[in-house]
Amino acid sequence: MGNKTMTTSIMPPARLLELDNVQVHFPMREGLVKAVNGVSYHVDKGEVLGIVGESGSGKSITARAIMRLLPKRAVDAGGQILFRPRTGEEFELSQLSRNSRAIRQVRGHHIGMIFQEPMTALSPVHTIGTQIMRTIQLHMGLGRAAARERAIDLLAKVQLPRPKELVDAYPHQLSGGMRQRAMIALAISCDPSLLIADEPTTALDVTTEAQILDLLKSLQSELGMAIIFITHNFGVVADIADRVSVMYLGRIVETASVDDIFYAPKHPYTQALLRSIPRLGVDQGRRLPTIPGMVPDPFSVPSGCAFNPRCSHAITGLCEVQDPPEKRFNGQMSRCHIADRFAQELAHV
Amino acid sequence: MSEAMTNAAAMPDDVLISIRNLKKYFPITAGWLRRKVGDVKAIDDVSLDIRKGETFGLVGESGSGKSTVARLMLRAYSLTEGQILFRQADGSVVDLSGLTDRQMRAMRREMQMIFQDPYSSLNPRMTLLELVGEPMVIHGVGTQAEIRDRVAELLQVVGLRPEFLNRYPHAFSGGQRQRIGIARALALNPSFIAADEAVSALDVSVAAQNINLLQDLQEKFGLTYLFITHDLGMVEHISDRVGVMYLGRLMEVAPTAQLFAKPLHPYTEALMAAVPQPDPRGNRTRKRVPLKGEIANAANPPPGCSFHPRCPYAQAKCATEVPALRTVTDGRQVRCHFAEELSLVGAMA
Repeated sequence: MGNKTMTTSIMPPARLLELDNVQVHFPMREGLVKAVNGVSYHVDKGEVLGIVGESGSGKSITARAIMRLLPKRAVDAGGQILFRPRTGEEFELSQLSRNSRAIRQVRGHHIGMIFQEPMTALSPVHTIGTQIMRTIQLHMGLGRAAARERAIDLLAKVQLPRPKELVDAYPHQLSGGMRQRAMIALAISCDPSLLIADEPTTALDVTTEAQILDLLKSLQSELGMAIIFITHNFGVVADIADRVSVMYLGRIVETASVDDIFYAPKHPYTQALLRSIPRLGVDQGRRLPTIPGMVPDPFSVPSGCAFNPRCSHAITGLCEVQDPPEKRFNGQMSRCHIADRFAQELAHV
Repeated sequence: MSEAMTNAAAMPDDVLISIRNLKKYFPITAGWLRRKVGDVKAIDDVSLDIRKGETFGLVGESGSGKSTVARLMLRAYSLTEGQILFRQADGSVVDLSGLTDRQMRAMRREMQMIFQDPYSSLNPRMTLLELVGEPMVIHGVGTQAEIRDRVAELLQVVGLRPEFLNRYPHAFSGGQRQRIGIARALALNPSFIAADEAVSALDVSVAAQNINLLQDLQEKFGLTYLFITHDLGMVEHISDRVGVMYLGRLMEVAPTAQLFAKPLHPYTEALMAAVPQPDPRGNRTRKRVPLKGEIANAANPPPGCSFHPRCPYAQAKCATEVPALRTVTDGRQVRCHFAEELSLVGAMA
């Protein structure tokens, strides 16, 4: 545990997690891919941070950097990740290697994680109960019988029917929604301070999705844990998040409270994405406004602002030349040269 | 094919394809003799008309049978019972249910399908020329040079560069691959296209682009679509009429605007309520009671109305009597005993 930094804490007391300029690169034959290119965000105790972005924006890789579960060929190219669970000790996660004793204490204990596809995340050859019990026995030092009791309680807590029977069920015996509940039970088994949810409802039907979102919300307030909720679905993020960060090509382009993101977005990418979703009961117009072009391939990220070739507000001579600075408006951050303009326009509304 | 045309008179002039009392049962077998012990009623008595030039949306949870309906219409599955009437380009009506495989192959020039997964539905060892030109080769249309010209033209139609002819699918993104699938479906100038979750796997901005493309193509070539999706926002945007399926049965059929303004079936109401909206303030005020439980097992469906165990309005009658799909007002059909008495909430603001 020698890696733990116990020196001067720079995190405010309410802070749970802080990422500062995190970089993750992938050296490929075709060139260097900066999958995460200077990402900074923080999570306060008990809040839900939504991370939205299209595939390839780096939202999942950032989460894996927190867990120190990056693919083997990934290069940790800098940045700092600080984490302080409710037990009070402070971890500099960015200093920990993927197999260190310290990270294995954090993973599954202080930080739980749930994934999109529970069938690949859960072991197919062990019962749900065994998987939950192992985690509890490892981190909480409980005996077999006590761990089994707790596993059954957890299954009841995630509202699985007949927990006493299902504790001995294998993942393949459960439906998709029930498996997702079992995975949530596993993730919260040691009372984590932070839950990372990576597209947990994407593979589910809307009715099951609504159930899982409600479950996560009630668990969050009951257990007082914070959640990082990664999704590409703006509807889901509007439902669950307190604050939202929007990612594009390895960077956060905008961070704000959920209301500001939806009603006063200050980055053209956020604005364009919001316009391109068909909304229920609102617009039955014939055409959806789209973002021109496509996400550039990661080997040839445009210079200046990475979004400039697709941006309807782009200013020639500025946006393709200069990296936009982070502009702040109260609690809102927009990485756009002309964010001030959006701030003024909105003031007139 | 003459005996197959007997029912032609029964189909209204503006209808392109009509399915009547369609049933698809998959046998359940048991023991080493593989004796039949029951049926999975994947599709149970589904009837619907799709008019020329319209987009008919089919929604429902997974396991509701919506993909099976599409596959039956194109006779990718053999049907257990029922009729599939299809109006050919020359105006004559054919009952597809009575055709042999060889006769059916000729019909597929006019009926095509677009699939959800643009990764598994394209052979990675074939170039775009081979992939998009394959339908023409199979149907013996055109010389090699003509096929090449036609493929180049089709690629342009779907917004890909004709120079890509000799590339392989791996060189393209998900959205582009979906366009390759669309070009392939268009190769033989079909009149009917079944799109099975055609944009569900795509990112928000790419999905919007491809939806617009499908609408452009519909206008340009007078196409008729069966659009299958679980995304209610998308179905509302693209469809003229919508059918809601549950456990192999149609629960409600209505023109899109009417369905979303005022659903008549409790299941439709529940589906709409479950969709998280990109509207955080609205989500906070909207009372949302998530549907309880999960879709029943089709091998062992509940008696009476198949939705009654989950229905918040269920009464004693629902558990015993199977409701019929009946016409309530002009163009609106519903399968609920109490449709007139309930006052359900739609998705309109």
